[in-house]
Amino acid sequence: MTARWFPDEMPVPAASAETAGWWEAAAAHRLVVQSCRACGATRHPPGPVCPACRSTAWEWTTLPGTGTVYTYTVVHQAFIPALADTVPYVVAVVELDGGAGTRLVSNLVDVHPAEAAVGARVEVVWEDMGPDLALPRFRLLSATAGGGGAS
Amino acid sequence: MTAARGGGACLVGVGETRYAKWGGITDASEYELALEAILAAVADAGLTVDDVDGLASFAEDRNDATFVAADLGLPELRYAGLSWLPGGGGACAAVANAVAAVESGTAEVVVVYRSLCQGQFRRFGRGPGNAPAAGGRRVPHVRRARSILDAHVAFTMPFGVFGPPIAYAMVLQRHMHRFGTTAEHMGHVAVTTRAHAARNRRAVMGGRPMTMDDYMASRMVSEPFRLFDCCLENDGACAVVVTSTARAADTAKAPVAVLGAAQGTLRGFGHGQYSNVSMPDDDYASAGARGVAARLWEAAGLGPADVDVAQIYDHFTGLVLLSLEDFGFCGRGEGGPMAASGALAWPGGALPTNTHGGSLSEAYIHGLNHVVEGVRQLRGESTCQVDGAETCLVTSAAGVPTSALVLGRR
Repeated sequence: MTARWFPDEMPVPAASAETAGWWEAAAAHRLVVQSCRACGATRHPPGPVCPACRSTAWEWTTLPGTGTVYTYTVVHQAFIPALADTVPYVVAVVELDGGAGTRLVSNLVDVHPAEAAVGARVEVVWEDMGPDLALPRFRLLSATAGGGGAS
Repeated sequence: MTAARGGGACLVGVGETRYAKWGGITDASEYELALEAILAAVADAGLTVDDVDGLASFAEDRNDATFVAADLGLPELRYAGLSWLPGGGGACAAVANAVAAVESGTAEVVVVYRSLCQGQFRRFGRGPGNAPAAGGRRVPHVRRARSILDAHVAFTMPFGVFGPPIAYAMVLQRHMHRFGTTAEHMGHVAVTTRAHAARNRRAVMGGRPMTMDDYMASRMVSEPFRLFDCCLENDGACAVVVTSTARAADTAKAPVAVLGAAQGTLRGFGHGQYSNVSMPDDDYASAGARGVAARLWEAAGLGPADVDVAQIYDHFTGLVLLSLEDFGFCGRGEGGPMAASGALAWPGGALPTNTHGGSLSEAYIHGLNHVVEGVRQLRGESTCQVDGAETCLVTSAAGVPTSALVLGRR
């Protein structure tokens, strides 16, 4: 069991035919992006057709799991009661290394909200929410602190 | 819509129900309010329901036109249009679609409507679907998506993006990073809009004056958005009647022309920043309306300098700044300084904006009330009337596929 930062009561993801493979990879702690096998363009969220060349041939590309904070917000309001002890928490958009500009909405964990900054370098850490569900969170690359606890 | 320039169809009636804070209306259903608003708009036009043969709304409407037609006893429904543009993006499109229906001869009198009783349904502030189960321990898991949107927001909701305030806070954070936009810039939108609402007896926040200090002291929701950066959650409905120019000669009040209309979205913008964050940087930190704006000005044969008054969709203060930029009232990154200059204030500003109090202070009816206010300005009926107003820009939601209108005096 990995560290936990968010409660069980968080909304659970829903998977479609196109996105199921992304969640399966995540459960195995692999951060992937959908790539077009015809032109190589990446896209996210996953979809059935390449918006660039309209090919329906695609594959999952495993990414190194590092990236750069593109933007972020510090959430102060507990939108569900179970988050009362978690706020404030940081939601960030991370531009993924190797993803050709693909960005991901995630969280910065093990970080003081004041340390969140556009341009910060981050790496993925996995939070096992359940047997078939793991979510990629990110921490500052300079961080040396261990996981665990709300930040 | 180019064919409509000055042209074939007009807005001839507006109506609304009472507006009340979230949960404030308990003696009528959201559906009943929709019908009330339609009846009020038809009466305002000097018509009767027997004249109505078309209905139009936009995505996420719970009040199906087919039931509306049956329950109002429409003699014959000839047009029932629903714009795919999501939530607040579609109000202006619904009006434009009604105009197109009239101009094509599909129908003669089309009523555009929206009813939004958030107290009777889930709050938008809780985000789309995917609500956590109440009580009881459960094991988090991946479930089967109910829709494309459901599968897309799976990449945001589990990370604590519970609603639009959090998603669009990140858009403003990026804008601040790139252009130096400040909380005070956004505060000018909140304070100015509240001052306009003070003159409007329909406004939910009409009796609640706000200073910049009040704004700064309001609690933080999701940085940089404070509570007063976010629009209301409330109960109410409104409607707009569209008919042909020929028929408009017989209506009760001066008809208002649609000088131009445009709708749609940019390539790569997707469903907007709520579920797509991989768009080009210039689009992410924007209202996503540059394409709509360019086509709008082209259709109207007018430009930003020709606009006398504006009703700009204000789900969040900061997105008003981004819309000012996209529609060309100022350069990229200059929306904040423009608001701080007092430009949006009635009566003295260069571009009096949201003269009814907007979604921040009048009511959140997915921006159809912005169309209603546009009609009132061009009739000379606004409670913050711009003297001699001849043109009014109305925009729908920023940050999603959207639409806009230029209204004018006939």
